Amino acid sequence: MPALIAEAISKTYTSGPVQTRVLQDISLSLEPRELTLVLGPSGSGKSTLLAILSGLLKPDSGRVSALGEDLWKKSRVDLERFRLEHTGFVFQGFNLFPALTALEQVMLPLEYLGLPRHAARNRAMASLEEVGLFSRANFRPIELSGGEKQRIAIARALAKKPQFLFADEPTSALDSVNGKNVIDALHRIARSFGATVVCVSHDTRLAADADRIIAMEDGRILGDEAGGGRRAPLAAVTTGGVA
Amino acid sequence: MAALARKTLIYEWRKFLPAALAVAFSGLLLLMMTALMLGIFSSAGVYVSRSGGDLWAGYPGTQSVELGRPIPRDTEMWLRMDPAVAQVEPFQWLDGDWRGPVERGGVSVFVSGISPDADGMMFAHVLGARERALLVEPGSVIVDAADVDKLGVGIGDTATLNGRHVKIIAAVPGLRALGGVNIVTSLATAHWLNTDAADRDKVAYYIVRLQPGADVEAARDRLTLLGAAHRFAVWTSERFAYNAASYWMFETGAGLGFVFLAVIVLVVGVVITSQTLFAAVASAVREYAMLNALGAGLSALRRVILEQAFWVGMVGVAIGSALSIAIMLLAAGQDVPIVFNALAAVSCAVLVMSIALISGLLAAGVINHLEPANLLR
Repeated sequence: MPALIAEAISKTYTSGPVQTRVLQDISLSLEPRELTLVLGPSGSGKSTLLAILSGLLKPDSGRVSALGEDLWKKSRVDLERFRLEHTGFVFQGFNLFPALTALEQVMLPLEYLGLPRHAARNRAMASLEEVGLFSRANFRPIELSGGEKQRIAIARALAKKPQFLFADEPTSALDSVNGKNVIDALHRIARSFGATVVCVSHDTRLAADADRIIAMEDGRILGDEAGGGRRAPLAAVTTGGVA
Repeated sequence: MAALARKTLIYEWRKFLPAALAVAFSGLLLLMMTALMLGIFSSAGVYVSRSGGDLWAGYPGTQSVELGRPIPRDTEMWLRMDPAVAQVEPFQWLDGDWRGPVERGGVSVFVSGISPDADGMMFAHVLGARERALLVEPGSVIVDAADVDKLGVGIGDTATLNGRHVKIIAAVPGLRALGGVNIVTSLATAHWLNTDAADRDKVAYYIVRLQPGADVEAARDRLTLLGAAHRFAVWTSERFAYNAASYWMFETGAGLGFVFLAVIVLVVGVVITSQTLFAAVASAVREYAMLNALGAGLSALRRVILEQAFWVGMVGVAIGSALSIAIMLLAAGQDVPIVFNALAAVSCAVLVMSIALISGLLAAGVINHLEPANLLR
C-alpha cells in the first residue's frame, strides 16, 4: 500500500504581474522501503514537488495523503506535529547549529519529540553509528568536513525513525566519494527502517542507486521508471506499484 | 532545546555581546540619571536631612527650605507650651551677597544661622561640638569643603558678606544644597548679617525635638491646630524633606525632564538591543527553519530566542552593575551629588531586564516569518 499519495497537485508562483506555473496537475504514489529519485533540471519544479509532498508548502489545488491522512487539511500546529512524528529532512545546506556537537545536533529533534534525555542520547548515538560518525560525536560543525556534516544531517533526520525522509540535493556540495556515501545511507534507511525516501537531484550519477526514478521538466512528470538500486543486492526489495 | 539557547550564547558570545552591552549601557545610563536626580533633589532637603529634631515649624505653605519666610517670634512660646516638646531651636535663614577676592566678583549665598550649642539640632549630623563651638566667635562662618574654590577663599581667610567682614573658620563636607552655596554661622552672626531691619528679630524656622517616646504625628496635629491661629505651620522632618525634594522634582520641571530622558533611554535601549539581537537571531534563521521543518513548533523556537534575550539581559545587568559601582566610587571621590539606594538599583535592573525581554519579543518576530519551504531550492 502506498505511504504517500499525491493527487492532481498544481502550484503557481506569482511575482508581480508574472505568473509561473511550477507544477501542473501532478499525481503519483510512493511506496515504503523505496528510494525514489526525482531528477530534473533547475526550474523543473522538483523542489516544489518535494516541499508539497513533505508538508512544507501548500499546493494551490490537489491533495496529499500521507499514512492515510490528508496533510493540507491540517492546521499549522497539527502539520508540525505530523512532521515531528513522521518526517525527516536532509537539505542541500546542512543547517547545523554551530554551537552544538554532532551528538547534540542529532538529539535536538528527539528532545522536541519529548524523549527523555538518556533515551534521546542512546538513539542519537545509534544514528551516528549508522552513518559512520560514532567517533565524531563530540565534534562541532567547524571541525567536520562537508561530507561528515551532511551525514550528521542524515543522522539527525534518521534518529526520529521517520516513515518519510525527504532529501533535497543532498550530494550537490560533496565530492563523488562522499556523495556515494550519502546516497548509500539514504538507501539503507529505506531498506532497514522501511521508510519512504524521496530524493530530489539533478545529479544523474545517483540514478544507479535509486529504486525508482521520476524525471521532471517544466512542472510535469516526463518519465517514471525503475532505477539501478533495484538490482543492487542491498536487502530484500519490495517492488512497489508505479503510479 | 533549553540547552540550544545557552550553548549558542556561550559559543557565539561575540554575536550577542553587542546586545548585552546595549543593555548594560542603558542600565548604566538609567541608574546614573536616577542617582544624580536623587542626589540633586535630596540636596534640596539637606537642611532637614542633616539635622536632628522631629518637627519643623515655618511659614504656612512653605514648599522647600530655601523658600522660607520669617515667622513671628512668639511661635517659640506656642511650641514650648506643648507638653510633648523637649527642645525648641530657632533656625535663621537668609540670602547673602558674598564678596571674596576682587577677581572673583560676587556670589549669591544662603546663610544659615544655627545654635552653636553642643546639643544644637540644626546640622547636627554634619557639625560636631568642636565646629559649633568655633561659631561662638562673632563673624565666624563655616562653608562646604566643595565650595571653597568657588568662594575663592581658604580656611582662616576673611571675606565680605552682606557688607560685613566674616572669617572662614572651617570647611566641612555635606553642607552643599541645591541652588546655591550654603554658609553656616551662629544665630547671633546671622542676626548681625541680616540687612532687613523689619525682619531682623524674626527667624524662618523653629526645629522641635519631642520627649522620648512621644507620638510625633499627634504632636504635629496639635501644633498644626495651634499654628493655624498664629500664622505658622508644622511638618514632621521626613515630610518637610520629602516636600523639598518633590517640589524640585515635580514643580520645577526638572523632574519631568528626568522622566522624559528616562523614556528616551528606554526607547533607545530597546531599539539598539532588539536590532543587535535581531542580527544574532537572523544569522541562525536557516537552522531555526530546519528545526521547524523537522517539527519543532514556532512557540518552542520563540522560547529559545526569549531565553537568549533573558540571558543577554542578565549579562547586561551584571556588566552594567560593575560599571555603575566603578563610576559611583569615582563620583563619591569627586563630591558629585549622587544618591544610590537599593530601590533605585532594583528598579533600574527591572527596567533593563524589560528592555532585554521586549527586544527578545521583537527579535522573535523573525520566527513568525519562518518559511522552511525556502530551504528547498
